[in-house]
Amino acid sequence: MTESSSFPGASQVLTLCKNIFSRIIKASDNVPQHVGLIMDGNRRWAKLKHVEIKEGHNAGFHSMSRALELCYEAGVSTATVFAFSIENFKRSSAEVDSLMNLARSGIKQVVQNGEMAQKFGIKINVIGDRKLLPDDVLREVEAAETITKDNKRAVLNICFPYTGRDELLHSIKEVVQATQLGDLASSDINEAAIDRHLYTGGSPPVDLLIRTSGVTRLSDFLIWQVSRRDVVIEFLDCLWPDFGSRQMAWILLKFAFSKSYATGETDPEDYDVEARGSPLKKHV
Amino acid sequence: MSKIKERVLRAQDDECKTSHRDKQRVSVVTNATRKSGKPGVTDVKGAVGSVLLTPPDSEAVRRKLESQKGVLGKSSGKIEFIFYKILLCVLYMLYACARYTQYHYNRAKILILNLAYSPSNTPQLIRQDVLKLQKLPKRLAAIVEKKREGDVGGGVSGVLNDGSDLVAWTISAGIKHLALYDFDGHLKRNVDEFRKSVFHKLTKYYDPSNVPKFAIRIPQWNKVYFNAPGQEADDTTSKKVAIEISLLSNRDGRETIIELTRTMADLCAQNEMQLSDITMKLIDSELTQLVGHEPDLLLYFGPNLDLQGFPPWHIRLTEFYWEQDNDQVTYSVFIRGLKKYAACKINVGK
Repeated sequence: MTESSSFPGASQVLTLCKNIFSRIIKASDNVPQHVGLIMDGNRRWAKLKHVEIKEGHNAGFHSMSRALELCYEAGVSTATVFAFSIENFKRSSAEVDSLMNLARSGIKQVVQNGEMAQKFGIKINVIGDRKLLPDDVLREVEAAETITKDNKRAVLNICFPYTGRDELLHSIKEVVQATQLGDLASSDINEAAIDRHLYTGGSPPVDLLIRTSGVTRLSDFLIWQVSRRDVVIEFLDCLWPDFGSRQMAWILLKFAFSKSYATGETDPEDYDVEARGSPLKKHV
Repeated sequence: MSKIKERVLRAQDDECKTSHRDKQRVSVVTNATRKSGKPGVTDVKGAVGSVLLTPPDSEAVRRKLESQKGVLGKSSGKIEFIFYKILLCVLYMLYACARYTQYHYNRAKILILNLAYSPSNTPQLIRQDVLKLQKLPKRLAAIVEKKREGDVGGGVSGVLNDGSDLVAWTISAGIKHLALYDFDGHLKRNVDEFRKSVFHKLTKYYDPSNVPKFAIRIPQWNKVYFNAPGQEADDTTSKKVAIEISLLSNRDGRETIIELTRTMADLCAQNEMQLSDITMKLIDSELTQLVGHEPDLLLYFGPNLDLQGFPPWHIRLTEFYWEQDNDQVTYSVFIRGLKKYAACKINVGK
């Protein structure tokens, strides 16, 4: 679903299709609540197309808007995107600078004239070790957060700069500190406590993770959240700038189908076979 | 900070003693065998039925629908809702058809691959496959699942058998470290049977007089076992082993991290430790001691990747491999995972 189609009115038809599709998915009542995105492959895409790396990142940004638009329309309440890893500071300073510029202008765009923020009422959170950000970017980030702080419908977490281990360390430290201050008894330290103190603490649990460009690693993204049982992990072969509404739609449909199918299947008789020691009777 | 490790281990030990009821706990979740998602006609019927017949639970949907009340009031919202439900069913049917084709394509592929790669109990064949590869993972991990009692290769004995197959292939491939993860810890609870099963499997692969030595480590209980029961290594020379196997379960994941946090909180309360002492390096070294090293490659033998609570700290850069719609522990998945690993390049951040 690209906008390159030259038929008059084609884009309207596409928008209509997208809207109908998202309503349909919404009606299934099996929409992921929190989607994680690893937007991998912008640089490889740029190399393949023989354009500057900057262009690749730009294309990636548009691709992200397309995917998120469909998600939010279909009723996803939170999305977390991996924009910049702490490890990315190892890249060439020119590229780091251009990424920072892109982030600055991107955040600006989303906040000021991007319809997305207004249309969906998106609240933007920038999560990660923000001490590492340059001052001007940090200012932009804070401005974006204050402008969107009253939006209630959906949340966009931008991980910038972030690693999963750093997040976990941060949470562990906060929990330990809370016990020191007497807010939490050490016997009350449990999974929920760690969850609360993660950067994604206020969000629903992650139930879908998407990574593009054929790499089957987490690369230190949401390690705590994604290693849970029943989190759907999708690894796609396409590069992130080529990831569009079509792929997103397919993933949402797949998710909804498998979840409605699973709820249809969960018959208690299936489970306590072992307890009763009775032979398994497959029910149809 | 060996104090930390001691404490965590002690805490885990106590927990282990008190958690006998855990053993009786019906493994509700395990038995929910992940069906390979084979979309038969009955499944579609089920899915469609559940879609049509169950009213929407979520508050959001209801609110949305209410907010869409048009001129016609409530009934138009209902009509619209039914309209979308019907469209959803149509979509589901189309999806099921596509999925059905995909499923059978994948199954056929797996079948052919299983025929193409067969270890036939000979380490030499595995060695030949491996020698073609550019690099091998130093540490391998695999997630095994207990299948339904009645199925082929189901129940605890199925898990033991899958585990010992993996051990035999890993030894033959020349990889020195293997971590086997199963959610409920069937392997570690039945460690003696597992040792026997591994030994038995190895006698099929190797000459009975020359069976490779192995060590089985259970990090949760801080125990190491050598070889099969009755053949324990008595002196230091025979403690040289061909492979070290760690048995992990859900407890080695999140719960160990929580235990570690609790211990550090206690130490901080007793002023034996400062908050600033908690660093990435400290947590990493503690978790390495308590659980093990991060694996380079994680093999999963289910139809869709599901990490099932695998220790989160340890999957930072781990490469995952699984075969879509596969539901068996087979050599073809093992060797194809190694091939995939040999072909990938890891660049941290760059």
